[in-house]
Amino acid sequence: MPDTGKLLVGRRILLVEDEYSIAVEMERWLIEAGAKVLGPVPSVEQAVELIGEEMVGLDGAVLDINLGEGETVYPVADRLNELGVPYLFTTGDMRIGGNPAHRERPRLAKPVLRAELITAIANLLHSQARTV
Amino acid sequence: MLKRQQVLADFGDVALRSDDLDGVLNEACRLVGEALGTGRAKVLEIEHEEQSLWVRAGVGWSPGIVGHLRLPMSEHSSETFAIEAAKPVITQDIGKEERFDVPPFMKEAGVVALANVPIFLPGGRPYGLLQVDDVRPRDFDDEDTQFLRTYATILGPVIDRLLLARALRTTEERFRLTVEAALDYAILISDPEDRITDWLPGAAAVFGWTAEEAIGQPSAIIFTPEDRENGQDRWEVETARKEGVAPNVRWHLRKDGKRVFIEGSTRALRGPNGALLGFLKVGQDVTERRRSEERLRENAARLEVLVGELQHRSRNLLGVVASVASKTLGEDGAAAAYQARLKALSRAQGLLSEFGSDTADIGALVQAELAAHVEVKPPKVLVSGPEVHLTSRQVQNFTLALHELTTNAVKYGALRDGTGQLAINWEVSRSEKGRRLALTWIESGVHLEPGQVTRRGYGRDLIERGLSYALRGRTEYVLGADGVRCRIELPIT
Repeated sequence: MPDTGKLLVGRRILLVEDEYSIAVEMERWLIEAGAKVLGPVPSVEQAVELIGEEMVGLDGAVLDINLGEGETVYPVADRLNELGVPYLFTTGDMRIGGNPAHRERPRLAKPVLRAELITAIANLLHSQARTV
Repeated sequence: MLKRQQVLADFGDVALRSDDLDGVLNEACRLVGEALGTGRAKVLEIEHEEQSLWVRAGVGWSPGIVGHLRLPMSEHSSETFAIEAAKPVITQDIGKEERFDVPPFMKEAGVVALANVPIFLPGGRPYGLLQVDDVRPRDFDDEDTQFLRTYATILGPVIDRLLLARALRTTEERFRLTVEAALDYAILISDPEDRITDWLPGAAAVFGWTAEEAIGQPSAIIFTPEDRENGQDRWEVETARKEGVAPNVRWHLRKDGKRVFIEGSTRALRGPNGALLGFLKVGQDVTERRRSEERLRENAARLEVLVGELQHRSRNLLGVVASVASKTLGEDGAAAAYQARLKALSRAQGLLSEFGSDTADIGALVQAELAAHVEVKPPKVLVSGPEVHLTSRQVQNFTLALHELTTNAVKYGALRDGTGQLAINWEVSRSEKGRRLALTWIESGVHLEPGQVTRRGYGRDLIERGLSYALRGRTEYVLGADGVRCRIELPIT
């Protein structure tokens, strides 16, 4: 396993995931990589609320596409697009719907492993830093 | 006298030849005015359930009266008086008339003398009045009166015949318009040999043959070749002949070879003596509805296969995951707990597929989980609650929580051995916010070993945080003096 020890120190990451077991697991991985986690939250409503309350600003987000019972995370993605916050999707599904811009975003297939998640977020933040 | 007989004969001719009530009534007025030398006469028809009189026909009156004027049929009018008298009522000089009131328009027109002759329809129902007016004072003598009586007696049946003919024409016209406008319904009539005699516009619209093409053909032209081969056409008319009616719900053939689905029936038409006159076939073209129903059925069947396949695959996948885990991690310790959790998930998946929908009954979930570990029977284990279906999302989380409670009880609690007891109850409550499920898990008679009280494992975390996380549930978990007490509350649909 590559060393993903402290790649995300001080980074503020929003985590949207409806499955509790997966959510707490990812939260633990992010915290151990040095990140400050917002959430996890299981729904669009709660995610949008968190984004609204966040004064300092987000560095990135991990979004589970299918939030169960027909709900998808795209409205959260749209909001993050407006704010210029980079994000990646996690999904068990191969299709990406909603705004075509969503298809340009990195995507991790479930089950997501610790190393790939941390590396993908680190890359996301790095490329964002370059483009700004 | 001869002149008057001539008038009656002339009127009889007109009445026999004409179908036009207004024409006949005007001619009647002309003839009677001429015969009595007044030049004036009119017919008043009773309207609106005897509330008014309409000047329906007349001669010698200025424009605006005949066909237009309506009089109230008051109690003291000359008209009411004559109908009650049921015979001609003569007024020699209306200025001296004291028995009743004469309508003002008559006085204004200079009428002085007046004969009011009631007209009755066969059966005695009053139709109205024939009025002969004169602007000079005159005495209608006995001969005049008798003539007028005879005249009115002939008028009654003539009017009756023309009124009935008009009502019949209206009904027939309405019937024809209705049937011809019913383009969504194919309507045809065939003779006793089932040859088409009437082919209405709806039949032409649905089957594509024109009336000229269809009339004279056997009804079987609209049957499919398969149905003709099976004798379906003959079965249908035979059934209608024997039982009065036969259903006709099948695909039919159009002139252009396309098929239309018809829902309808074939009825035997019989005369008053019971003789078979032919068959009436009425059917609605429901091809579009039929096609969409077939598509829906196919889709539903495909979906069912797909759902079955998905459930099969997800259970298989769990099986593969379990075997990979045992190869990778072994079968002891943490690996065994992992395997048991997978097993619980797999059981829940099985119950979901069993119900044929994406829900599972909470009682079945509880029984399945307990049965995997212990014998579920009183007094050790008591389970009760109504049938409540959980969604697939709830099932997964609920099953894991239930599994943690159960394995915990098997290891340390009520299900281990000895005197421990477990009671599981659930109920549904309703409020403005919707339905909520409340389940209680109560263990008793458990002797806790020191050191276990502070244990906060995966299971307890799942119950206390996991259920509220995605299912908006509320949970309480208390490790009491003689066992675990847990309460789980979830909103349900």
